[in-house]
Amino acid sequence: MGFIHFLELILVVGILLAVGIPLFGKLKLKKLVEAVDPAVDEYKHLLVRKEETLISIKELEFDFSTGKISEPDYKELRHKLETEATRILEHLDQLEEEGKKNKSVKSHQT
Amino acid sequence: MNDIGEFTLLVALATALYGCVAYVMSARGNRIDLYLSADKTPFIVWTCVMISSICLWKAFLTDDFSLQYVWAYSNRELDTFYKISSFWGGQKGSLLFWTLLLSTYMLVVYFQNRSKNLRVVPYAMAVMLAVVVFFLFLINFSTNPFERIPLPPEDGRGLNPLLQNYWMVIHPPTLYLGYVGFTVPFAFAVAALLSKNLDDGWIRMTRKWSLISWFFLCMGNLFGASWAYVELGWGGYWAWDPVENAAFMPLLIATAFLHSVMIQEKKDMMKVWNMSLIFLTFAMTIFGTFITRSGLIQSVHTFDEATLGYYFLAFLFVIIVACTALIIIRLPLLKSANELDSFLSRESSFLFNNLVLLGIAFATFWGTIFPIISEAVRGVKITVGPPFYNQVNVPIGLALLALIGIGPVIAWRKATFSNLKKNFLKPVSAGIVMAVALFPVIPLGSRAEIYTYVTFVLCAFVLTSILTEFYKGTVSRMGSHDESVVGALTTMTWRNKRRYGGYTVHIGVVLIFAGIAGSQAYGTHTEKHLQLGDSFEIRGYTIKYEKLIAVQATSIKTRIIAQLAVERDGRRYWTARPEKEFYKGQNQPVSEVDVLSTWKEDLYMILADFREDESATIKVYVNPMVSWIWTGGWVIAFGTMISMWPDRLEQRRRLDRVRRQEQLFPSPAQE
Repeated sequence: MGFIHFLELILVVGILLAVGIPLFGKLKLKKLVEAVDPAVDEYKHLLVRKEETLISIKELEFDFSTGKISEPDYKELRHKLETEATRILEHLDQLEEEGKKNKSVKSHQT
Repeated sequence: MNDIGEFTLLVALATALYGCVAYVMSARGNRIDLYLSADKTPFIVWTCVMISSICLWKAFLTDDFSLQYVWAYSNRELDTFYKISSFWGGQKGSLLFWTLLLSTYMLVVYFQNRSKNLRVVPYAMAVMLAVVVFFLFLINFSTNPFERIPLPPEDGRGLNPLLQNYWMVIHPPTLYLGYVGFTVPFAFAVAALLSKNLDDGWIRMTRKWSLISWFFLCMGNLFGASWAYVELGWGGYWAWDPVENAAFMPLLIATAFLHSVMIQEKKDMMKVWNMSLIFLTFAMTIFGTFITRSGLIQSVHTFDEATLGYYFLAFLFVIIVACTALIIIRLPLLKSANELDSFLSRESSFLFNNLVLLGIAFATFWGTIFPIISEAVRGVKITVGPPFYNQVNVPIGLALLALIGIGPVIAWRKATFSNLKKNFLKPVSAGIVMAVALFPVIPLGSRAEIYTYVTFVLCAFVLTSILTEFYKGTVSRMGSHDESVVGALTTMTWRNKRRYGGYTVHIGVVLIFAGIAGSQAYGTHTEKHLQLGDSFEIRGYTIKYEKLIAVQATSIKTRIIAQLAVERDGRRYWTARPEKEFYKGQNQPVSEVDVLSTWKEDLYMILADFREDESATIKVYVNPMVSWIWTGGWVIAFGTMISMWPDRLEQRRRLDRVRRQEQLFPSPAQE
């Protein structure tokens, strides 16, 4: 066996070990991800929407301050965005409340 | 070394194939053991491809002509600089280089996301590995750069002289970085569909990737134009060549994508549209490689041994069918509850911008594939030339330019006519002033001249619209924060990097439009056969032929240089030295043009021919405003840098989201 073939053998053995060990080793966790809780997804989505709505309010204020938007439009859009933000915050509060309840139930059970 | 290079390519293919399957199985079966096993493969694939690339580079640098590829694209006399770039000078090496970039991108994505969103990332990695598998399959079984010559020759055939230019080192890697980069947002979009994570998470995760890929694609196009300008010696920079179009189309669609994702981020709508745009962008990058490597379309840019058309066509077919099917299957989940607040809003202007960009892309696509279609239908290959593209794309391009000016003036969500009137006053006034000022000065005899006139007027409109935005923002900030002009401008830009970085990019685009318009309509050229001492005039320049010089540059390269004195207003202004280079073993000499570039115009000299009596044929082009195009490119680079600069506020918001989520739902971070 030449030196090159020896190197190639080492490479293949190294790769087989690297990808093989996790398959045959003992792992604490068995599952890659926990079962999807729709509430988590919704909460995550609402956090993003909250941020976007707050950014939109800031941009609206900026557009108004630079005269890009008229006062009636500014008031109308601000009201719309604030209503949207309030709705999102209420929904987030509700999810947080439910989350806390579930958490305390789980801790009592354990 | 060559054995190792060849072997590691095979190992990379096997590993990528395993990684692709293991990632999908780990996600579908929710198995962490498979995930941890698959998770080793991006690094292994990258290492193998890198080793293989190093082996090929070494073969070039050590003149190992036992490799057919090294023999075909190098020789002993070639500069080390070009020996390094010869790596991607031909089809085989360019595919390996593509794979190297792709696996490097994949490795960065792997390090960035390995502990994040485990529902999406395995699928994204699988998609990227699947693309790597396709390229590695081609390299291993169809176009192997380690193919041997049984009896190695003493010297190589040498690199095509047209490729012996510094742009060869810069342009292909830049373009490839753009092409390859769109694999990342594409992979995450597919992963979002497969894993049913259909909020805008995939867009946020790949926002920087999209921007950086767009930037490289844009720069790749400009560098290519610059290369053609100085190397091909026909006085122009863009010829609507199929390969140029192939790089231009993904840029157009990616630009549409970058704009429309903002609407999804803001209003949580247009999910199907954005998915379709990123799929189309990726498909267009593969279509570009198909054009270059199919041999179906003639172009100066296609590879000599372009034989891989059917592989790319099959891959393209799979991508289109799979992506369309995925979108259709997930259609119910992609519907948005939101809608536009008003048809008179920035969102609407972005939609128009999307349609216009896709219009240009479609016209370019049609012109590019028309020779294939005409040959298939009528048996005659009919090539579509620049007149078609100019006739169709110029008016649409002007509409696009106008939209660049309209966008910043219109507010997000809703605008009213009274406000628009007020906001449009300055930009429209600037346009009118420009129209009035130019009317008596510039000729308006042909359609091209009228288009150019309209372009200049629109450039004034757009530039004023953008600069007014900077001005208004600065004044508003100065009033509310008691800051100096510079302080307010800097802070405002810094706090709104995406907005003002974007505006800066638009300024660059305006400069490019102006440069194209000026150089296309008002250029002039002449060709003269001159004896020593003869002179002639063009656009106020007096050009005198002084001497012909022969220089033996290297043992394989001879330079014939024509020295010309350029006078203006009776004074020597510049000494031009256009030349022809003769390479041993190459039938055709190469023209090396000489260009004097100013902001007003380029004086572009070509030595077209020479005779033994030292007479020479000189071609001279006066190309106005070409330097504006290259300046526009640098402004785009600066604007993109502002947009891409890490935003601490955004990072803080992201961390805050993760923290809040983990407090409430203490599972692994799903951000």
